[in-house]
Amino acid sequence: MNEREKLLEQVMAYDFCMIDLGLFLDTHPADANALKDYRTCYEESEKVRKLYEEKYGPLSLRHMPNQDCWQWINSPWPWVKEV
Amino acid sequence: MWSYEKKLEYPVRIKKIDPRMAKFVTSQYGGPDGELAASLRYLTQKFHMPTKELQAILNDIGTEELAHLEMVGTMVHQLTKGASVEQVERGGYGAHYTDHGLAVYPSNAAGVPFTAAYIQSKGDVITDLVENMAAEQKARSTYEYLISLADDPDVIDPLRWLREREVVHFQRFGEALRIAQELKDKKKFY
Repeated sequence: MNEREKLLEQVMAYDFCMIDLGLFLDTHPADANALKDYRTCYEESEKVRKLYEEKYGPLSLRHMPNQDCWQWINSPWPWVKEV
Repeated sequence: MWSYEKKLEYPVRIKKIDPRMAKFVTSQYGGPDGELAASLRYLTQKFHMPTKELQAILNDIGTEELAHLEMVGTMVHQLTKGASVEQVERGGYGAHYTDHGLAVYPSNAAGVPFTAAYIQSKGDVITDLVENMAAEQKARSTYEYLISLADDPDVIDPLRWLREREVVHFQRFGEALRIAQELKDKKKFY
């Protein structure tokens, strides 16, 4: 695993926690512990996401485009097999 | 609507070519208990859910299933990418190759194309939630069969993770069913 993938996996891990906690909160919308954990995951995810996007390009289409070129297509798509 | 995130929900990094396993895993792409059926089932049923909790759970599990569909498609792709015709034939993938080359295609393990008959949307909240709980269990069983057919740790790891998600979704649908039953009881006047 290279440096890019390592950082991406950190984003993936926090975002996964948000997905899982989000499902729990759908059926337990007033659970204080889950809300606190969700908030922590969100904050951590934002931090590593910012680091990743500065270094390797956008993870979603909600980003400011570069003046010279469309960065979105540059980093590898996640299904591509390493050779 | 949906917006794309340029990452998988959980990593898939398969190096070893194995068309035999690709044929089996394909069932979780377009088979009766696969991720395409799961996402369509929930994202179709969400429209007739009566409360905000139930609307949320159907929408959000349906959305997660789309991410699982991408993971399973990635597995099939990586299991076959670069396979020789000889590997394809030896792995029992010749029939698929004849019609689809090395493309990912939504079918069951025997090659029968995906059909909407795999899903139900009955319009009765209790009926649909019980259907969904059964669907999660069937998907869990399928992942267990796939794990027993697999020998590559790179294949087993995402399969085990996907199996876990079926268990979590089953739990959430169970809670959704309780919410629906409480709502139904509240409407009774004695």
